[in-house]
Amino acid sequence: MISLKNIFKSYIQGDLDVPVLHDINIEINRGEFVSIMGPSGSGKSTLMNIIGCIDRPTSGEYVLNGFNILESNEKKLSMIRNQFIGFVFQHFHLLPRLNALENVELPLIYGGISKKERRKRAQEVLAKVGLADRMDHLPNQLSGGQKQRVAIARAIATNPSFILADEPTGALDSKSGEQIMNIFTQLNKEGTTIIMVTHEEEVAAYTPRCILLRDGRITSDMKRVFT
Amino acid sequence: MSWMESIKFALSSILAHKLRSALTMLGIIIGVGSIVTIVAIGQGGEAALKSQFAASGNNTIEINFIPDSDDPFAMITDELPVFTEDNIFQLRKIPEVKHVITTNSSMEMLMVNEQSISTQVLGVTDEFFAVNSIEMKRGRKLNEADFSQSNNVIMINDGAAQELFKDSKVIGQILEIKGQPFEVIGVYKSAGGLFGLSTPEIIMPLTLWPVLYGTDDIQSVTLQVKDISQLELAGTKAAKMLNDAKSPELEGKYEVLNLEELQKSMAGITKIMTMIIGGIASISLLVGGVGVMNIMLVSVTERTREIGIRKALGATRGNILLQFLIESMMLTLFGGTIGITFGAAGAYFVSFIAKWPPLVSIEVIIGAILFSIILGIIFGIMPANKAAKMEPIDALRYE
Repeated sequence: MISLKNIFKSYIQGDLDVPVLHDINIEINRGEFVSIMGPSGSGKSTLMNIIGCIDRPTSGEYVLNGFNILESNEKKLSMIRNQFIGFVFQHFHLLPRLNALENVELPLIYGGISKKERRKRAQEVLAKVGLADRMDHLPNQLSGGQKQRVAIARAIATNPSFILADEPTGALDSKSGEQIMNIFTQLNKEGTTIIMVTHEEEVAAYTPRCILLRDGRITSDMKRVFT
Repeated sequence: MSWMESIKFALSSILAHKLRSALTMLGIIIGVGSIVTIVAIGQGGEAALKSQFAASGNNTIEINFIPDSDDPFAMITDELPVFTEDNIFQLRKIPEVKHVITTNSSMEMLMVNEQSISTQVLGVTDEFFAVNSIEMKRGRKLNEADFSQSNNVIMINDGAAQELFKDSKVIGQILEIKGQPFEVIGVYKSAGGLFGLSTPEIIMPLTLWPVLYGTDDIQSVTLQVKDISQLELAGTKAAKMLNDAKSPELEGKYEVLNLEELQKSMAGITKIMTMIIGGIASISLLVGGVGVMNIMLVSVTERTREIGIRKALGATRGNILLQFLIESMMLTLFGGTIGITFGAAGAYFVSFIAKWPPLVSIEVIIGAILFSIILGIIFGIMPANKAAKMEPIDALRYE
């Protein structure tokens, strides 16, 4: 489903060409639950942005569901982000003036889903993350854990190919973090592909596959079997 | 994404900053308001002129004798201005003329119950009733027989009925005017008259005028034409005919109200007014428009992260462009709508003072609304484009 080949990424800083990612090769299949780990500055956020099609690599090849991302134009990338990817951000990134339900409906609006259908779907996914009684709350009326659950509901509302989570527990207390990870685990069991970036060992411990990144290179890509 | 969604987003964003939005609209409000006012005043003035000419739409035009202003005695000569029987006869021959309404009037002191009451006496012909609609309160109008047989009968207005007879039984009463007895046959409603008060007025057949006043000259002539478009032509012909026929001793000339000249002088006044208010309006609109652009730029910057989130969730450049464009359009549309309200109020105020009909036509309102929307597009396109072109990665990282 996701195929990254020889991905290089560098930023121009003044006269300097600062390399961030070197020769990244990753294959991720449907149904996987993958964590990308590494210390800060290792390039894991950049890698995540590239996978999420909100940043472009300097060179390499990225094929997602048969679409060559580097050759896709802006409009097609919007469609790809909308249809294939469900983002979950560290700081939730909910729109403050919209209530929980409206926030979840947002990607469905851009996907051109009818009003009736998207309301139904938004209610379903919010119920799924346990927020059926918080639908008309504004983000600032919700706790951190609840906000992140709204964000997860928003991510799965469009039925994407995979969820891309950037430090999803980074801004949460450990109890809320645990709840979030349990939701992810449950979603993965139901067949959702999840790619998660984190620097916390205990969070990464939830995932069967872990890719380690250091100084822009993959240092390990291992799978483990939970018993 | 549907327009409804875009409008909803735009509304919530405008309402989230009420004061800011209101201040931003101010320039547009003043600009659009001024434009609506000048257009309405211009159109109202023109309509006033036309209605003055075609006295409340009955296609009439009055002929006046204007004495030479060089001759100070001309004004006070008793014999002026006059129309002879022959003049009237000639005027009737003008093909465009439908009726020639001849009237004489005089102020008389009438003695009633040892009280003298000043009363306006009008001598009219039957054509007077063809042109002026007169509403009877009691009794009947003067009829054909009254005119042809020179019956000593009169109609009085409600003011006269009140003053002369204290509203007791009026019909059939005898009133003495200049030593002649007249029978009151009807009471009519006064045309104008503030608060129902009207000066006493009496209408009698013009054929009786020579008996009372010893002259068959006519004081006032009004022409009614068949069609309003012929008004000017008929007026010019009539004036020329009268001037050609007048005796050389008469210092002065016959004139009709000249529409073209009036329009010209009117246009002169409105032109200056249009230039002044138009100047204010365009400066205000330019400043207002730049204000809208400025606020939209601020709004785009403030909402950089929101733009990033929307893009990550699948918003296209077009979605973002439309969202901000609709927002700026709604700002100018609201401003324009408020401006139209103020402009209309201003127009009504001016027309109230100038005493001409206020005219805020539906075309002006639609025009102003479209103009406001176009302003929003012109000044909103740059900020909206800036928002649309943001890279999602930069927008999401924006602190």
